[in-house]
Amino acid sequence: MLKYTLRRLLGMIPMLLLISIVVFSLAMFMPGDPLGGEIDPTNSDPEYIEEMREKLGYNDPIHVQYWTWVTNFVQGDFGKSTQYKVQVSELVKSRMLNTLFLGISSIVITYIFAFAMGMTAGRKAYSKLDHFIGGLNYFGLAVPNYIAGVVIIYFFSFKLGWIPFGGSHEIGLQPGTLEYWISRFHHVLAPAIVLGALSTASYTQFLRNDIIESSRKDFVRTARAKGTSESKIYNSHILRNSVIPLITFLGFDIVTIVNGAVITEAIFTYPGIGTLFLNSVNNRDYSVLMTLTMFFSLLVLIGNLVADLLYGIVDPRIRID
Amino acid sequence: METNTITNAAPKPQKNMSPWAIARRKFVKNKLAMISSAYLLFIIIISFLAPYITTADISLVQIGQMELPPSADHWFGTDKSGRDVFTRLLYGGRVSLLVGMACTVAVTIFGTIVGSIAGYFGGKIDSILMRFTDFVLNFPFLVFVIVLSAILFGQVDGVWVLILVISVLSWGGVARLVRSKVLTEKENEYVLAAVSIGTTPFKVITRHLLPNILSTIIVQSTILFANMIVVESGLSYLGFGVPSSTPSWGNMLKASQEPDVLQHMPWIWAPPGIVLVLTILSINFIGEGIKDALNPKSYR
Repeated sequence: MLKYTLRRLLGMIPMLLLISIVVFSLAMFMPGDPLGGEIDPTNSDPEYIEEMREKLGYNDPIHVQYWTWVTNFVQGDFGKSTQYKVQVSELVKSRMLNTLFLGISSIVITYIFAFAMGMTAGRKAYSKLDHFIGGLNYFGLAVPNYIAGVVIIYFFSFKLGWIPFGGSHEIGLQPGTLEYWISRFHHVLAPAIVLGALSTASYTQFLRNDIIESSRKDFVRTARAKGTSESKIYNSHILRNSVIPLITFLGFDIVTIVNGAVITEAIFTYPGIGTLFLNSVNNRDYSVLMTLTMFFSLLVLIGNLVADLLYGIVDPRIRID
Repeated sequence: METNTITNAAPKPQKNMSPWAIARRKFVKNKLAMISSAYLLFIIIISFLAPYITTADISLVQIGQMELPPSADHWFGTDKSGRDVFTRLLYGGRVSLLVGMACTVAVTIFGTIVGSIAGYFGGKIDSILMRFTDFVLNFPFLVFVIVLSAILFGQVDGVWVLILVISVLSWGGVARLVRSKVLTEKENEYVLAAVSIGTTPFKVITRHLLPNILSTIIVQSTILFANMIVVESGLSYLGFGVPSSTPSWGNMLKASQEPDVLQHMPWIWAPPGIVLVLTILSINFIGEGIKDALNPKSYR
């Protein structure tokens, strides 16, 4: 397993290099000059501009510029944001925590809902409740997250006033206090549900089908014959077998969250890296844009790696080839 | 004259139904799929006949008729610029469906080509093509679509840029699926027979392999069609899709980003939202119906 993990980790390096080349060339093709934010805007003397270009390295050959960027990037120096005038690493760090909070909340909510619904539907297969849950699932898979988000804000935020419609916490609360954390949970609830809807639906579907399939197997009949209570059969004997393949979904969850965060954060104006990314595209904030694109790619790579490794743990045959 | 009557009188041989005819009969019996097909057909027809149905000008800004709630004059009311929501909904459907269809066709064709070549030839070609596919699949899709459309925006006509960008980044899944199908299908004896009589690889793929995996491709492209409509609307919602001068369902939903519109004028954003959800649901149901109909093991 260790050998397999190492091999997969090494395999990521060429992929990352290729992605970095693509990201760098894309940034080169972007219209506009990233110079804008770095120089004194009142000084339009061509000599001064030329001097600054030279100093900031914009006149170097492309491969030199690329190399400078990559070596700085690996050392954790992501450059300076032209829009916010701060180090990108600080900017990303503060926003990253918000997104991480959103992502983890979304996974927790997904698990709670999926287990509750999947186990009920699997146990009472083909009943009215099962059909109802199946219908909900269909909606979870078919309704795009931006529509779900808009509808949730309209009803629960404006009509009922249950949830706030944007931001990550109430303004003016002291970080670290209990009220602050309650406010944060309150704010993250709706985006986390929207972000997790797709995963919830697929988890529920999988769990339901797996439970139905397992409940016909011999070990269940044996357990029943020995007089094990029905709830114990479902909650420990069957569930234990169904959870193992479910774990492998975790890697894909990371990918879904990375892609979903951009759009979900935009709907709820949640200050995470998704909104930061959209801002950086709109404002041509190149260092932020490149850093975040690399970051998202890295997360997707890690997500796929985690999925593969978990597969390897669950099914040892995969490790061989 | 006499011979004619004789040939007519001869009893017709009992003909077995072709697989496609069986599938068609199964599909017609599936109520949900038929209702969905009717709905989708209806949406497609009224969207593409939009210029004949409404005569209102989509780009006309009418100062006196801004933010009107639904009435007999304006079935779904008017938006912030005084444009009729119903008219925009029809024209928007045209763009959204067009982008969805074009992307689906492009992705399906390209994915099938790459997947079938990789699967059929195997070896080095396979590993090169699949490395490339992995590479494309490892991009965070939405992030790269946004960056790419920001670069290309304004250079060419917006809608076609969007179609190109989405297609370039989303063929990986189809390629992988087709490859795995071809890998199992090419082990069959009829492929060996075709190769042994000197059939060219191109003919083996197009005449023998592809028809046999066509059902998988059809089902996959139905799901893809729904996904592509979702992607288009999502990008337009964020402001990186169809240019805002062209109405599309996503562009209309974008209006809901203003809290004022979201809170007090649901008639501006609800119609495109409802139509979009129903369209996606109906495409999914049709996909399920086709999958069921083409599966020889299912009897309904």
